[in-house]
Amino acid sequence: MSAETIEEGKDFIVIDNIRKVYKKDDTETVAIDQFDLTIKKGELISLIGPSGCGKTTILRMIAGLLEPTEGTITIAGKECKEPGADRGVVFQDFALFPWRSVRKNVEFGMEVAGVPKDERRERADEYIELVGLGDFKNSKIQELSGGMKQRVGIARALVNHPDVILMDEPFGALDAQTRNIMQNQLVQILEKTEQTIIFITHSVDEALFLSDRVVILSKRPSRIKEIVEIPWERPRDRAGPEFTALRKRILEDLEKENVMFHH
Amino acid sequence: MNFVYDDNNKYHRFGKTCLIVALSLIMFVEIWWILSLLANTNVFPNPAETFEALIDFINNGYSHQSSASIIWSSLSLFIEGFLLALVVAVPLGLFLGYSKGLNTFVTPMIEVLRPIAPIAWAPVFIYGINYSVGPILVVFIGIFFPLLTNIIFGVKKIDQSLIDAAKTLGANRTQVFVKVMVPSAIPYLMNGIKVGLGVGWMCIVAAEMYSPVSIGVGYCLSSMCQNSLWPSVFAILIVIAIMGILTTSVSEYLQKRIAKRMGIE
Ligand SMILES: Nc1ncnc2c1ncn2[C@@H]1O[C@H](COP(=O)(O)OP(=O)(O)O)[C@@H](O)[C@H]1O
Ligand SMILES: [Mg+2]
Repeated sequence: MSAETIEEGKDFIVIDNIRKVYKKDDTETVAIDQFDLTIKKGELISLIGPSGCGKTTILRMIAGLLEPTEGTITIAGKECKEPGADRGVVFQDFALFPWRSVRKNVEFGMEVAGVPKDERRERADEYIELVGLGDFKNSKIQELSGGMKQRVGIARALVNHPDVILMDEPFGALDAQTRNIMQNQLVQILEKTEQTIIFITHSVDEALFLSDRVVILSKRPSRIKEIVEIPWERPRDRAGPEFTALRKRILEDLEKENVMFHH
Repeated sequence: MNFVYDDNNKYHRFGKTCLIVALSLIMFVEIWWILSLLANTNVFPNPAETFEALIDFINNGYSHQSSASIIWSSLSLFIEGFLLALVVAVPLGLFLGYSKGLNTFVTPMIEVLRPIAPIAWAPVFIYGINYSVGPILVVFIGIFFPLLTNIIFGVKKIDQSLIDAAKTLGANRTQVFVKVMVPSAIPYLMNGIKVGLGVGWMCIVAAEMYSPVSIGVGYCLSSMCQNSLWPSVFAILIVIAIMGILTTSVSEYLQKRIAKRMGIE
């Protein structure tokens, strides 16, 4: 079973009974416990939960940057033990290489994979265009705004055609207006690429606007409280009655748990 | 014409800086002159006598050597010591910054050696090893420690998320090292070079005083002192100051350029 042979909509990423304990000297923090989740190919799934509930921990384990204390995570049957180009990550703080231009940042993955220079450049340019930065290919990272930086981050992840892209509050560092623009762009990009995405956020609005499914997590140690399917067509109307009603319902449920959320 | 100073105009700012620097230098020469008058001894020549001796040194050199060959003699020792320090400190610093265990192991050795003034090594290296390699090693010691500590610091300060990003883009350990850690450390390396060059230049002058075979500025200085050629002594001091200013200016300029290029401003 390989990534290519799995059809869209079929089970693809299997998180099986994960437990993660952070140990430092005498203190133990159980970040994640008894966590199971199956993600389908081509789906955009959001994880939403209060700050400190373990969202980043889950993402880092899928990325292979962190090892689970117990349990396994597999993609197309292959266990995620080490980081690799099959799982792209978009970081909240962008994590772009400041000494590389926009193009050179996007080329990084292909460069380390030994893709020839011409092909590298061609593919990088294609994805820089896709995220709307065509005029900034040779720009330095410091010259870009936060929204533009994150578009470079997205292009850098997309260009490698990973099995899944992991996004950890990618728009969290952006102002509200830029965040909305970025969400719209991500929806447009999704239509062109059929990319599987795991998206972490603490905004109910963002989760409802983007996702096929929203996974709502409880306080630490994280358990899945509820999974909400969102079958609506995209682009979605944030002011529409369905949207606002569902947002209200989820926010109320969360408030009952006495958990604060951003809207 | 009605001139109004504008702090937002870079030419105005530059002009203002030049003016202040010029005033400062004039003041310096004035104070020197007054002090030498007050001292009233031929050990402390006034600026005019020194200037005359400087011109004489530039035209005629000293002790059958041209001024250019004297300066070059010091400069080449300096460059050799610097290159040696670079070749040893850069890889060592990168590895020590990278490996915590290795760092803990090597740090005590470094900390024992570091407090020893580089100049204290001068007689040891020069009489103990030989006259030509000794001074180079003294410069090496002077530059090595600031360089090493800056590089280690730079590698430790690397943004962990850049390393994570590289790994998730498929980079292996070597690629992470070469494509992320090394470039991240370069601005710190440049800072180490800047500090090191200043120290190194002091070392070369001191080291040459012990070395009878290298006819550099340090040798001239001690020989002129022994022969009571005080205006020439002061002329050499000025040569040393100018060489020092030039080396630090060049490295400061490079450091700024590289910091900008590397995205750290
Ligand atoms: N490296 C670590 N060492 C110890 N505890 C950690 C570490 N990383 C995270 N934690 C703890 O694990 C919990 C979950 O953290 P995280 O996954 O970052 O949460 P989230 O991303 O949902 O805000 C928090 O309580 C945090 O303090
Ligand atoms: Mg987090």
